[in-house]
Amino acid sequence: MSNITIQQVSREFGANTALKQVNLEVREGEFFSLLGPSGCGKTTLLNIIAGFLEPTTGEVLIGGREVTDLPPYRRDIGMVFQNYALFPHLSVFENVAYGLKVRKMPRADIRKRVEESLASVRLESFAARMPHQLSGGQQQRVAIARALAIKPKVLLLDEPLSNLDAKLRKEMQSELRSLQQSVGITTVLVTHDQEEALSLSDRIGILGNGELQQLGSPLDVYRRPANRFVAEFIGQVNLIEAKAVSASGSPAGVLTYQTAQYRLASGQPLSLSAASDPALTGKESVLFMLRPERIQLSPEHASEGTNQTEIQITDVSYAGNFLRIAGTLPGGGELVIQAPDPSFTVLPEPGQTLYARWAPEDLVPLV
Amino acid sequence: MTKTKKKYRRNMFSWILLTPSLLFMGIFLILPFLLLLILSFHDVDKYMNTLSTFSLSQYIEVFTSPFYLGTIRSTLWVALLTTVICIVLAYPAAYLLVRSPNQGTRTMFYILLVSPLLTSVVIRTFAWIVILAQNGLVNEVLMKLHLINQPLTLLWNMNAVIIAYVQVMLPFAVLPIATSLGEIAPNLRQASMILGAGRLRTFVKVTLPLTIPGMISGAVIVFSLAAGSYITPLLVGGRLQPFLPLSIYQQVMQVSNLPLGAAMSLTLLLFVGIVVGVLGWILKRWEGRMNG
Repeated sequence: MSNITIQQVSREFGANTALKQVNLEVREGEFFSLLGPSGCGKTTLLNIIAGFLEPTTGEVLIGGREVTDLPPYRRDIGMVFQNYALFPHLSVFENVAYGLKVRKMPRADIRKRVEESLASVRLESFAARMPHQLSGGQQQRVAIARALAIKPKVLLLDEPLSNLDAKLRKEMQSELRSLQQSVGITTVLVTHDQEEALSLSDRIGILGNGELQQLGSPLDVYRRPANRFVAEFIGQVNLIEAKAVSASGSPAGVLTYQTAQYRLASGQPLSLSAASDPALTGKESVLFMLRPERIQLSPEHASEGTNQTEIQITDVSYAGNFLRIAGTLPGGGELVIQAPDPSFTVLPEPGQTLYARWAPEDLVPLV
Repeated sequence: MTKTKKKYRRNMFSWILLTPSLLFMGIFLILPFLLLLILSFHDVDKYMNTLSTFSLSQYIEVFTSPFYLGTIRSTLWVALLTTVICIVLAYPAAYLLVRSPNQGTRTMFYILLVSPLLTSVVIRTFAWIVILAQNGLVNEVLMKLHLINQPLTLLWNMNAVIIAYVQVMLPFAVLPIATSLGEIAPNLRQASMILGAGRLRTFVKVTLPLTIPGMISGAVIVFSLAAGSYITPLLVGGRLQPFLPLSIYQQVMQVSNLPLGAAMSLTLLLFVGIVVGVLGWILKRWEGRMNG
């Protein structure tokens, strides 16, 4: 069990910079995800931790020991690859035993350790099979057993679930999480699947354009994204550019804004009320994030005021547990809304008029 | 149009497309083979005229004469040796070919490797005469360096044949090995290394076993070619070398004992067939183990 420290790590490929001065620490025993779109540098960073790539500058420490110049085979890391990378010419047993044989463990101990590892992924009875005789999910579990059998200091997971179908992926996610919890091993997961990262991780590092955009808990990165990049990458958002206006009579702790992006039937800009926030003090123009699921829809106009508007539905897509609705304001501007399935007995149709409103604290300022 | 009719039409079309090659194979491969088979069971009189009677006399001759048995043995031995040397030498070349990071370098290696195949075997083999002859390159250099006092006899023996064979056949071993090296997923090596295996161990335990299919394919090609050639042994080994293809050539062209030549041809085919069959069986078992 060890922590991982990434210090000022940069990596260039010719003229391209894949990583720029990345600093982060993965805490001991933590499930940490590196999340980002493809090409953001997350795989590069994982390969640098594993030792398959050398950083152009910077240092990597595992458990306080500098490993930057160590080859992968001296780093004591367990790794699970995207396509599992099981040795096709070796049986399940031999695959799991591979790292133990390298470590010159006595035969009886190897047998015992392999059996334990396979039991931990519920594949005890598959030891004699060849990898091709296993399903994708089983191969995945063998890969995990193989990585953990050597009792590594840290576990690296390179998009391990991306080749599985949706249902199996969900199962493997919870299995992976509970296995990680029971072993207590420091784990780094690389993924482009934000839902996976949110549901599995203790903390998430979001990488974009080779830079660490935000480091925080799933709740932090979803509810308080550090910037536009994070907001747009994690989930859907309405981004609203607004200007502060001095308004009298607004309740304490609420600031008033106007946005030219959205206009009412009269052509007037939409008024917004945002909860006061340190990030807002002294700022004239602000970029707000409004999550689609934060917007409430109702058939009637409740009252006059800010944070509410008439919208005309332009598109409805039904996703089962929720509906995604797009609508435009009478004076222009599009809002995306996500409503839970039970909120409509009859689905709204394009052309219909509904009223949308949201709370002041739902407008999250992006710095 | 009904479905069956459509299917029939499509089948017809495939047969029409196949006809020229089937005809070609039938007339120039299968028919001659059958004729050869029949011929090998004919008797000859003392003037080497083919008689119309049938017997096993030619095969008895091949399998009882110590000379022919020795010839068969040395033919197979030289083919085997050539195959082993070719595979060993081809491996590093294939490795270089596949693992060069630069596409330009890889293309250059490919051209270098394949270009000898554009010239005829005769020319490639003649080059070895120039190099190995009494007054050839090797002897001249060794004499000039005063390492030897009189020229060595490098030509007209088995070693010369094997050297020339290896050079001529190397590309046929490199290409299949390179193909199977290229098919290994790069993260298998990574998986091996992260599990603690160094480069050598990774090579021995992962890369080498996964290229067995390539090595076997290369071995099949090289062995068949080495056991069946007569130009190369004739040019650098001389006509007296105990090579089955040479003996066949002599029986047919010089002695005019056509049935004996035919029987020897089929014997050669049989032995090559056995070796290729065994290699193919190993390949199939190995691939079955890996891919089901």
